[in-house]
Amino acid sequence: MRIIIDQERCEGHGQCVAAAPEVFAFDDDGLTVVLQDPVDATAEDAARAAVRRCPVAALQIEEQG
Amino acid sequence: MTESNLQIPAPAFDGDIFADDVLADPYDAYATLRDLGPVVWLAAHDTFAVTRYREARTVLGSPELFCSGQGVALNDPCNQQTAGRSLIATDGEWHGHLRKILAHNITPRAIRHLEDQIKTQADALITGLVARRSFDAVEDLARALPLSIVPDLVGWPADGRDHLLQWASAIFNFLGPLNDRALASVPDVVAMQAFAAEMAAGGRLMPGSVGAGVVDAAAHGQLPPDQVAALIVGYLAPSLDTTISAMGSAMWLAATHQEQWELLRARPELIPNAFNEVVRLESPIRIFSRVTTGPTDLGGVPLAEGTRVAVLYGCANRDPRQFPDPDAFAIDRGNAGEHLGFGHGVHSCAGQGLARMETHALLEAMTKTVARIELAGPAVRAANNLINGWDRLPVTVLPGR
Repeated sequence: MRIIIDQERCEGHGQCVAAAPEVFAFDDDGLTVVLQDPVDATAEDAARAAVRRCPVAALQIEEQG
Repeated sequence: MTESNLQIPAPAFDGDIFADDVLADPYDAYATLRDLGPVVWLAAHDTFAVTRYREARTVLGSPELFCSGQGVALNDPCNQQTAGRSLIATDGEWHGHLRKILAHNITPRAIRHLEDQIKTQADALITGLVARRSFDAVEDLARALPLSIVPDLVGWPADGRDHLLQWASAIFNFLGPLNDRALASVPDVVAMQAFAAEMAAGGRLMPGSVGAGVVDAAAHGQLPPDQVAALIVGYLAPSLDTTISAMGSAMWLAATHQEQWELLRARPELIPNAFNEVVRLESPIRIFSRVTTGPTDLGGVPLAEGTRVAVLYGCANRDPRQFPDPDAFAIDRGNAGEHLGFGHGVHSCAGQGLARMETHALLEAMTKTVARIELAGPAVRAANNLINGWDRLPVTVLPGR
C-alpha cells in the first residue's frame, strides 16, 4: 500500500501527522511528506485512518497487487 | 401536502428545524431525521436534508456532482447574491484559484509565525480570567481571543470593529431559510458589505494583511475588483463566529463533563483530539446546501438534476453508524478526527488552521491553571440560523496546577 499526497491540495492541516506520525511528517518547509513508501504492514490501519481524516481530501491510497 | 410533494422520493419531515426551541437543542430532531432516512424532505423549507454521515461525506466529497456555484444558502435571494462571488459559492478551477488567493495567507503553513503570539495572548487572557474566578466564557473568553487576532490578520481598520460580531451574526442568519431571522439580518448584511466594499476600494486594509493581499491580487488582475469585498467578508465573518462557537462549546462541555476535563489535564496531548470531539459533538455550522449537476442517487433516493440538498453537519456528526455512542463527549474518541464539522474536501473550512491554533492555545493555557470549571448560572444558546453557538456561559473556575 502506498500513499499519494496531492501537494496542490494539501494545506498542511496536520491531521494525518497526528493520526499516523510513523507514516506522515512535515519537512523543514512545512510540506507534508510520507515517511514509509510503501507503508509498513503494521501501520496500514493508522495510515487509512489518516487518509479518512484529511480535511481537504489530499491523500490517496494506492493498493498494490 | 401538495400533489407534487407526494411524488418526492424520500421520507418527509414536517417540523421546522429552525424554530427557536429546536435551534436551542436540535439533537432530538436530528435523531428523528436520521431515523427517517439518509435523505429527508424538509417540507417546511422545500429542500432535501442529508442526515447521515456516509451520505453527507459523499455530498461534500463529490463537488462535481453536488456543486456550490448556485449558492450554498437555503434561500434564493442569498444564493443569487453570492453565487460565483463568495468563495463558498464557487466551483472547479475558479474556486481553486480564489481559494489559493485567500489560502496562501491563511494555511497552517502561512500562519505558523503567529503561533507564539497567539500562545502568549491566550496565556495572558487565561491568567487574567483565573484571577477573576467568575466570568462569562462567551464574552470574556470565547470572543476575546479571536477578536484580538482575526481583525488584525485580515487588516480590518479599528473604526470598523465595533459592529463586527453583530454583522457576522447577520451574515449567518441570512444564509438560512427566509424566516424572520434571515429577514431581520438584511440591514446588517448590507452594512457589512458596504463597509467591506469601501475597505476594498479605499486601500484602508492594513498593509501586509490577508485583506490587503486580496486587494493586491485584484490589482494584479487575478480576480475582478467587485469580488474583493465578498472574499474578505467570507473569511472575516466565519473566522470569528465559528471559532467563538467552538470555544464556547468547549467550555460548556468541560463544565458539564468534569471527568473529561480531568482527563484532559492528565493527558494534555489529547487537546487536538478533544477539540475535534467538540467540533463533532457541537458542530459550529448547522447546514450548507449543494445543487446536483445531473441525475443521481443518494442513499437510495433518486435526485433529478438541479436538486438542492442541504447537509446537516451536526446531524451527520452524531450518526451512530459512524460514531458509537454518538451523544457522548469523549475526548479520547478514536475517530473524532473524522467529523465533518469543518466540511470535507475542496470546500473544507479554509480557516480551520487558525481555529485550531487559537483553541489549542486556550485549552493548553487552561489545562495548566484550571482544576475545575463550573457553570455559575444559566447557559444561554444563541438563536442563529447557521451557527450553533452561545450568548452567555457564566462560569466559575477553580485554580489548580
